[in-house]
Amino acid sequence: MKKINAKNVNVSYGSKQALFDINIDIEQNEVTALIGPSGCGKSTFLRCLNRMNDVIDICKVTGEIFINDFNILDKKCDVVRLREKIGMVFQKPNPFPKTIYENIAYGPTIHGMTQSKEEMDEVVELSLKKAALWNEVKDRLHEVGTGLSGGQQQRLCIARAISVSPEVILMDEPCSALDPIATAQIEELIDELKNEHTIIIVTHSMAQAARVSQNTGFFHLGNLIEFGSTDKIFKNPENQKTQDYITGRFG
Amino acid sequence: MNRKEIFLKKRYNSEKRFKLYGKLAISFALIFLCIFLYKIFSTGFSAFQKTLIKVDVTYNSELLFLDENPSLDDIKNADYYDLALETMANLDLNADEDQQNELKRMVSYIFDTEIKNHLLKNPDLLGKTSSVLLTASDDLDQIFKGNYPRDIPEDLRRVSDYQLTVYDKLIKDEKIISKFNFSFFTRADSREAELAGIASAVVGSFFTILVCLFISFPVAVLAAIYLEEFAPKNKITDFIEVNINNLAAVPSIVFGLLGLGILLAVFHLPRSTSLVGGITLSLMTLPTIIIAARASLKAVPPSIREAALAMGASRMQTTMHHTVPLSMPGTLSGTIIGLAQALGETAPLILIGMVAFINTIPMSPMDPSASLPVQVYLWAESAERGFVEKVSACIMVLLGFLILMNLLAQIVRHKFETKWS
Ligand SMILES: Nc1ncnc2c1ncn2[C@@H]1O[C@H](COP(=O)(O)OP(=O)(O)OP(=O)(O)O)[C@@H](O)[C@H]1O
Ligand SMILES: [Mg+2]
Repeated sequence: MKKINAKNVNVSYGSKQALFDINIDIEQNEVTALIGPSGCGKSTFLRCLNRMNDVIDICKVTGEIFINDFNILDKKCDVVRLREKIGMVFQKPNPFPKTIYENIAYGPTIHGMTQSKEEMDEVVELSLKKAALWNEVKDRLHEVGTGLSGGQQQRLCIARAISVSPEVILMDEPCSALDPIATAQIEELIDELKNEHTIIIVTHSMAQAARVSQNTGFFHLGNLIEFGSTDKIFKNPENQKTQDYITGRFG
Repeated sequence: MNRKEIFLKKRYNSEKRFKLYGKLAISFALIFLCIFLYKIFSTGFSAFQKTLIKVDVTYNSELLFLDENPSLDDIKNADYYDLALETMANLDLNADEDQQNELKRMVSYIFDTEIKNHLLKNPDLLGKTSSVLLTASDDLDQIFKGNYPRDIPEDLRRVSDYQLTVYDKLIKDEKIISKFNFSFFTRADSREAELAGIASAVVGSFFTILVCLFISFPVAVLAAIYLEEFAPKNKITDFIEVNINNLAAVPSIVFGLLGLGILLAVFHLPRSTSLVGGITLSLMTLPTIIIAARASLKAVPPSIREAALAMGASRMQTTMHHTVPLSMPGTLSGTIIGLAQALGETAPLILIGMVAFINTIPMSPMDPSASLPVQVYLWAESAERGFVEKVSACIMVLLGFLILMNLLAQIVRHKFETKWS
């Protein structure tokens, strides 16, 4: 089933166009990887999906992006509601400089999701368990989140993102600041999370894309060159550029 | 030696020379600071000592026109002047009228009050004799402290030969003593140097800074938040930004003229009050706080804002829940530094009339009051010898407050600021 459907999405920063006519369909409860050389517009596209580009004054987005058949680029779309549904994990772990508990409780609090302290405790515990962090931090929920290791911080950010039960989770190079062990933990986690969430992940690692995703899109200079099942893209790409990129001949 | 080695040697030499220049510059600054501090401390130190003359007072009820068993109120309302005169005359029983007058001038003019307060503390002394400490006149005080030469012709001195002989006899009898000068901190300004204190100036400065804080802090923080977090970046905000920086560079006397022309002339606010002083100074502090607040808002990493926004927080929530609390330590330390600057500011206060002679301690910002820097100016203007040490002492107190405030700013910054890796 299609979760997200982008039609003719064009993005420009001032006079510089960053994305050209992107059309893409993203399947529900699958992991979609976006790959491509640096500066090709992967992050830009990802940030269209939760309207994070709104923050950048010079950024103009045109076209249509349907999520659950609702055009989120429409003026009527409420970004607060949208971002409650579409969570995001960033390249560099960015926990709030508050306690672990407060980090997770922030989303449910501002969206008024819980009625009582007990309910909130439950949400925090569940989120941390889903992010495979519970066992490591259950005794120090009230210590600052920024005191954790890099990999733990990133899992804390994932826990924070899933605390509001988003339908889609966007991940922008979530492992690029982590060591191989932490990376493996996060990849395992992504595999788990796809049962309940739709995941879109930007990555620079071909191996990671191949390991975690079911579908892959290859971007180059602001164009979506090829999009299809990960198997096909890696084993039998149609486009020469895709072939060159995944075999490491450029990028 | 080949060229490369020569070149290397040159580089090392220039580095050494540069370090030397740096050290020279620092020592130069330090020497000046030391000379300055030495001068202030050596002259100001004696102001914290007060010279007192021990006299025997016989509380004669007849001289006080009191009946057999007077009530405390009677004792309070009695006239002590005659008793006080008599007490001073008793220092030299052979003194003629002129000399008695000179004896009287060896103590401060509040000698009768001092004698009265002593009795009020122990009312059963009535009819008995007790020794009382009277504040010495400023001239005698200066002689005792050695600030005043006595080996010059009599007509060049403010202390007569007769007074000196009495003084020497008192010294021999150990009747002249020196004590910590509490009244310097508890009394308001006075025309008499031996009685002048900084209480009105300290309280006045406190009210002024308080008014300044209450006006400039909220305005500046709101302005900074709006400019940094909400305002679109366009020509108008650029223009505002440039003008805030200009405002910070405007000489303080201009703000004084503004206070004079608008607060006093148009709004008719009470002259010489901390209220007007505080409002005037807040105009000066405003840009300092805005700049500090904006800098610390800028120092909050964008990733924190993105994290909050991506969680579905509105812009307002992002700002109020995350950015502003994280910027507070920097903003506060900037505020304290701004207030410290305002505390030392003199020119604008002189223009709005805080230079008036005020011999009462203000009870509210609406009362006429002095302020520390202006008090320094007033005393420095004064011709009397006794005020010289007061000037330095007042500067010491002012410097003490400034150092305290700057220290506080440092502590706030280093203790509470979040460190970003
Ligand atoms: N805030 C911005 N202002 C102006 N131009 C931007 C901005 N963000 C991105 N761009 C431009 O848009 C283009 C796409 O950038 P984007 O960040 O999407 O690339 P990317 O594929 O994520 O690269 P990387 O793999 O290095 O993260 C780049 O040419 C970049 O210079
Ligand atoms: Mg990117």
